[in-house]
Amino acid sequence: MSFLSVPFFLLVTIAVVAFQLSPPRFRAHVLLGASLGFYASYGPAYAVLLLLAATLGVHQAALAIERRESESAKLRLVTVSVTGLTVLLAAFKLASTLFPWAAANAAAEPGVLRVLVPLGLSYYLFKLIAYLLEVYWENLPAERSFVALALYAAFFPQVVSGPIQRPGEFFAQVQGFQRFDAASATQGLRRILFGLFKKIAIADRLATLVNAQHQNPGAYSSLELLLGAYLFALQLYADFSGVTDLAIGIGQLFGVKAPENFDLPFFSRNLQEYWRRWHMSLTSWLADYLFTPLRMALRDYGKLGLAFAVFVNMVAVGVWHGVAWTYLAFGVLHGVFLVVSVLTLKPRDAFFAKHPLLQRVRRVSGPLVTFQLVVLGLVIFRADSLGQAAQYLSRLIGWAEPGTIAATRLDFKLLTVSPKAIGTICMLGALMECVHWVQRRPALARRFVEAPAAYRWAFYYGVVVLTLAMSRLGEGNFIYAQF
Amino acid sequence: MTRAEINHKLGGVLQQVFDNPSLVFADTTTANDVEGWDSVMHVSVIVAVEKAFGVRFSTKEVKSLANVGDFVRLIEKRAQ
Repeated sequence: MSFLSVPFFLLVTIAVVAFQLSPPRFRAHVLLGASLGFYASYGPAYAVLLLLAATLGVHQAALAIERRESESAKLRLVTVSVTGLTVLLAAFKLASTLFPWAAANAAAEPGVLRVLVPLGLSYYLFKLIAYLLEVYWENLPAERSFVALALYAAFFPQVVSGPIQRPGEFFAQVQGFQRFDAASATQGLRRILFGLFKKIAIADRLATLVNAQHQNPGAYSSLELLLGAYLFALQLYADFSGVTDLAIGIGQLFGVKAPENFDLPFFSRNLQEYWRRWHMSLTSWLADYLFTPLRMALRDYGKLGLAFAVFVNMVAVGVWHGVAWTYLAFGVLHGVFLVVSVLTLKPRDAFFAKHPLLQRVRRVSGPLVTFQLVVLGLVIFRADSLGQAAQYLSRLIGWAEPGTIAATRLDFKLLTVSPKAIGTICMLGALMECVHWVQRRPALARRFVEAPAAYRWAFYYGVVVLTLAMSRLGEGNFIYAQF
Repeated sequence: MTRAEINHKLGGVLQQVFDNPSLVFADTTTANDVEGWDSVMHVSVIVAVEKAFGVRFSTKEVKSLANVGDFVRLIEKRAQ
């Protein structure tokens, strides 16, 4: 059941009505029922059983950690539990590699691969690991209610594409399931509309072009591939931030505020900043539960320890998406970029502080250079294999074997979109960024919310009309629903 | 060491780490309030404080810190 389907629309509607009609003390049960129903629709029953079994194990482990008196017993328990969850995640992610017969069948029968890698596994296991560590660090009491913990893991707006919400933040809101929050629901509806606009009017319109280029990079010129690389960055951003809007917006219909995943990432001044502003719920999770403990353990090794922790963290970002050479290469590339960036940032800052004129140039060149590095990484991220990534990049920079295709050719028929359509999509991308910019400024956002109803409705209708005018419904699922 | 002494010394260490002598900290100050205090910088702060006060913190202790006030209390406890 995709987010963009009639059954999902019905599920959300029924869940909202049932949630409002049920007594407050049963609202978490209603949401858990809806969440398990939604999750079951994606795959076989054993995926639901696995989710429930993992949650039950974590529920008991957290209570046991809290009960233990000795520090070493607590440490043993948390180590065993977190290792168990990590092995479970790695085993499922490796499954398609270990059982190639299943991967081979998957092309003909997509359901086969789903049996091996239950959807959303990376998201809910990361949530459960965060919960265990917070209990161990004594930042959070162990949750007595199994229903609350199961709802945290399985909450249907977040289970297949995130964001990865922190446990303390979620439990505090579950306890507040007392009354209908009209303001939150209205905000949620706005987010849902914006998410649909991003997905349908921007991301899906670019999918055909990007997919075709990655299937056969050899058929395109350098300029066409360069255009495709930039357009993929826009597609991924619109797609992933679109599904995040849907997740946040649907959560708000139930009064649950989820964390943001993006903060104008393509305007970052350097790569460190970029990774604090792109897929923020994953990168902040890794910073708290992988990078900081690792960096603490290696703090006696100075810059070498820092470089190693940064590198491991970025490789983890890459392979979190799946066991594939492309994701590993993506992680390694960003690992190298980030190690260089982290180790040279202080001297660079000191140098530019002494040269005010160059500092002004840096303000413009920093985001521009960062964006080029991001686009380069995304070519590898999107490629179907390392070989195809190499072919794409070598053609892009003109290293490929000489052929009949001129490097500067721009054949819009082959690209399957007209220059006018590309211009329109880019303008919609700019509009999307303007809305993001306003969203980050509460005073401005409030002015919109408090504007006369006629203006607001005119804006909503404008967005609906633009979405419908650009729509190509049924052209693919959300990119981040596969991780 | 009194809490005021710890506060004063900690302030100096933080100003040095962030290379900003005009930085002012209160008990309620969090990493989010200070420009440049990210996850990479966080452990650098911990290492500098460990060195200045001659103490050693565990990851669990570090992860339970919510603000500068918590940090002062932890140093006070460990420096005794």
